[in-house]
Amino acid sequence: MKRYLPLAALLAASLVIPLWVHSPYALHIFILLFIAVATGESWNVIGGYAGQYSVGHAAYYGLGAYGAFILLNKQIPPWFGVWVAVAISVVVALIIGSITFRLRGPYFVLASIAVAEIIRLGALSWKDLTNGAEGILVSDLPPLKLGAHVITDWNSKVPYYYMGLAMALLCILVNVAVKYSKLGYYLQAIREDQDAAHSLGIPLARTKNAGLVISAALTALAGSYAAFYIGFIEPQSAFGLDVSVQLVLICIIGGIGTVLGPMVGAVVLVLLSEALRANLIAQGLFKLGLDETSPTGLFLKENLAHAHVLIYGILVVVVILFMPDGLVGFAAARLRRRK
Amino acid sequence: MAFFLQSVLSGVLIGGIYALIGIGLTLIFGVMRIINFAQGELVMVGMYVTFFLFRLAGIDPFLSVLLTMPALFVLGAILQSTLINRVLDALPQNQILLTIGIGLVLSNTAMLVFTSDYRILSTSYSSSSVAISGVHLSTPLLYCFAITVVITGALYWFLIRTDTGCAIRATAQDREAAQLMGVDVRRMSVLAFGLGAALAGAAGALVSPTYYIYPQVGGAFTLKAFVVVVLGGMGSIVGATLGGVIIGTAESLAAAYVSSGNKEMVVYVLFLLVLLFKPAGLLGKSRM
Repeated sequence: MKRYLPLAALLAASLVIPLWVHSPYALHIFILLFIAVATGESWNVIGGYAGQYSVGHAAYYGLGAYGAFILLNKQIPPWFGVWVAVAISVVVALIIGSITFRLRGPYFVLASIAVAEIIRLGALSWKDLTNGAEGILVSDLPPLKLGAHVITDWNSKVPYYYMGLAMALLCILVNVAVKYSKLGYYLQAIREDQDAAHSLGIPLARTKNAGLVISAALTALAGSYAAFYIGFIEPQSAFGLDVSVQLVLICIIGGIGTVLGPMVGAVVLVLLSEALRANLIAQGLFKLGLDETSPTGLFLKENLAHAHVLIYGILVVVVILFMPDGLVGFAAARLRRRK
Repeated sequence: MAFFLQSVLSGVLIGGIYALIGIGLTLIFGVMRIINFAQGELVMVGMYVTFFLFRLAGIDPFLSVLLTMPALFVLGAILQSTLINRVLDALPQNQILLTIGIGLVLSNTAMLVFTSDYRILSTSYSSSSVAISGVHLSTPLLYCFAITVVITGALYWFLIRTDTGCAIRATAQDREAAQLMGVDVRRMSVLAFGLGAALAGAAGALVSPTYYIYPQVGGAFTLKAFVVVVLGGMGSIVGATLGGVIIGTAESLAAAYVSSGNKEMVVYVLFLLVLLFKPAGLLGKSRM
């Protein structure tokens, strides 16, 4: 019970944060964090426990985003549309899974990329439905009503905050549930040795598909939430390879196959990329004595804001080389050694 | 008929470039069993090197192959001996992520240094074409194809006729047996990665007169190289050569007869079909 105390405290704190924090920017960071946690935990179900490194999860993320937006344009309110979108990506996941799970290792990775690319190209060319490369803009959401009572009209970031928190929490809880269920043990057995798992009677295709369906449903949910929050989607930002890679990175940096890993990875990536975007790092260097008007200073001031993906790349290289189990695995190993 | 011939021939010309990038990828895979997700980014580096050689020193892009290849060879050798070498025994997934990370670093460094502006390298012959009995072929693509053939030929010669080439092929066939026969497999790995990078650099130099040059251009080449290599059979150099030409032609025919927006879709569907029904590729041994 004691080990859940910090988590409960964290949850309680995140429930009351909007009561004190009114800055839209701070809330924006929290919302980005929730999206990152949710997508990372979703990928973790199939990538982490089952070791099936899908680099095509943008397919589900984008289907969630596009599904909910297209349905909204057809006058179906978001809180129904989202579930339809989730259902669509579950169906697509079953199709993709039954095709690609026959492949192993690098071949599976390549196939997952190819599938996501096919869907992206489809979204790009099916202009009647998706508006092609121009994307879809949704400027105002209909108010969320329970009967006649208006719960929220989405005018501030606070409702998004709670919605995002609930979503991130759901993804975390599903991870815990999966990890300690029979399905979870099956998935982990497949990760450790697929052939051994098979010979012990674990149905490979069915187990992997079950994991993928859970993962895809959560990813689609996060995708449609992110789309509603941002208010605009286009094929590259919804289905692009960058999206898939980012989900994997969150888990790799934090540590795959653990519940805590994607949360840590999300915090690191979101804070780091926002610090770069807001040019905090350049300003910090100036405070430390770097001359702001020198050529280097001007260059950093100008360009460091665009460098957040560069930092992802460097982080991944460092993590893979020096902490192959991610930050969480690295910290755990250090603690164990000290004891 | 002329239209069909035109599509096929332009496809073959483009396919030469795909083959060049694919051969680099398959060479690296053969020797190290690592899929290099940064292959397209190496092509991008080659494009920028060529662009600046042309802009600052006035060196013709086709001539600059002679400089781009050694430069990229050194870059590849450094990447291999400092980073890739450490994960040779790691999980294949971690190897893939490491190369994805290297790719991100390369493309975003390029963005930081050169900004994300599209650059065009225009030479006097950039938009000229040659007409052979009613079929128009772009001059830069023809030059490009001719040089590709020379480079591929030289590579075949190197791999088949020289001792070092033999050692590389032996390492690809069976790393441990090669080691027992006294082959320095670590050196062969550095060489193979360097060669793979040099081929990517050559491809970058050769396409720079016909493509836009920008930091994210690599991603498309990486994906295409996978398709080429899987089609030909992972690790097979002849397969990659063949795969490149087939993919180039398929793409060109799809653009001509289906629609130019869907040519990539046709390529990926082809890719999935090969993965599912003949994962060993046309000429590869099954490594499933």
